[in-house]
Amino acid sequence: MKTLEGLLNSEIKDVIAYHPEAGTVLADHGVGCVTCQVGTCLLKDIVAIHGLSADEERAVMAGIEAVLAGKTPAGPTPKATAAQPAGASGAAGRPAAATAAAPSIKYSPPMAQLVEEHRLIKRWVAQIPAVVAAMDLDRAWDRELVLDGIDFVRSYADRFHHAKEEDILFGYFDADSPAIKAFVTEHEIARSHVREAEAGVAARDAESVARHLGAYGELLASHIKREDEVLYPWMDRELTTSQVGELFSRFAAVDEAAGPRFTKNYTSLVERIERWTESQTEKQTQTEKVQVAR
Amino acid sequence: MQDLRDREAEAPDGAPAGKAPSELKQWPIQMHLISPTAPYYQGADVVLAADCTAFALGSFHADYLKGKSLAIACPKLDDGLDVYSEKIAALADEAQINTLTVVIMQVPCCRGLVALTQRALADAKRRVPVKVVVVGIQGEILSEDWL
Ligand SMILES: [Fe+2]
Ligand SMILES: [Fe+2]
Repeated sequence: MKTLEGLLNSEIKDVIAYHPEAGTVLADHGVGCVTCQVGTCLLKDIVAIHGLSADEERAVMAGIEAVLAGKTPAGPTPKATAAQPAGASGAAGRPAAATAAAPSIKYSPPMAQLVEEHRLIKRWVAQIPAVVAAMDLDRAWDRELVLDGIDFVRSYADRFHHAKEEDILFGYFDADSPAIKAFVTEHEIARSHVREAEAGVAARDAESVARHLGAYGELLASHIKREDEVLYPWMDRELTTSQVGELFSRFAAVDEAAGPRFTKNYTSLVERIERWTESQTEKQTQTEKVQVAR
Repeated sequence: MQDLRDREAEAPDGAPAGKAPSELKQWPIQMHLISPTAPYYQGADVVLAADCTAFALGSFHADYLKGKSLAIACPKLDDGLDVYSEKIAALADEAQINTLTVVIMQVPCCRGLVALTQRALADAKRRVPVKVVVVGIQGEILSEDWL
């Protein structure tokens, strides 16, 4: 791990483990690999996949070389930070590109569909902390609600959405590329958390359900963010016009097979969970008020 | 009016003089003359180009026409735009085209071709991905975006 050459051919998780400052250099340029749970992409592929401009690529390389030389890397190029909101400062006073609001990205129609599906998945993921905080697995109603959430993950997020990714979209790219493998591995990790959470409901083991649903939520939030901001824009740059049309038709066939009520039903399910967590929070607030009054 | 005679030619002096091959694989091409039932439109990636674009864009054949079927139109000067709308809807529903790439000039009147396409496809039963390419009067690509 001494030379730049060696570093470029290393997996990103090792690069960041040995040189945490390299993670900061990447984050400064909007490359959010630090939060990736797989981290098997090679550093050289990451520079390509994030679609950095030649200037940004040079700045990233200079930053990493500075890290290797034991110097403090210079801040990002002005271009890379121009879109950052004021006050979004990271370590050492550098703007924190990785934590800034998502830039508005133009997607091709099939990619825009996947991003739209992410919106519904994110709504359920956002409810997970409140669900695990309020659930009482000795109550049939609560068990049912958690199982509904698990059914949403299995049927909508996995069989419907991840299947579009794995069975169709990823097929247009090299299955052996570390980036694609990393995303597929995260799908598998997500599935295993869901299996454990389901077993936890059956065993009424609230701690296990909370741990696995919590880990699932964290994983998916980061996974979706990287798909929206890095993977899909990169794929859109790589796909030909004709391939975009093909993807659009193949996704339409999946939608048709799922049926016209599929998305509506799962949207209603998420709304039901949102109403439940809201009512639980209200109840909790009332209880606290009564306790304070006493 | 703009005089662009001072502009440097795209092929530098001394470059091999070889002909750029035509990528056109059909006839006719004018919107009033084409038939959406023609075999070369079935399931095709179609380019709907404003008349001026192929003159402005030196690499039109290689970069935009290659592998695609074509229709051309002028949203400002052509009559019978209703017929165009019907044909665009028929390309979506009957020819079941794969994609539609609308190539227009940067001049504001050319936007009419995009608006016409959007209205026509809104009336169609089948949805088709549409890309809009805007060409500058010096032949540069100003934008290329999916709608
Ligand atoms: Fe995914
Ligand atoms: Fe996804």
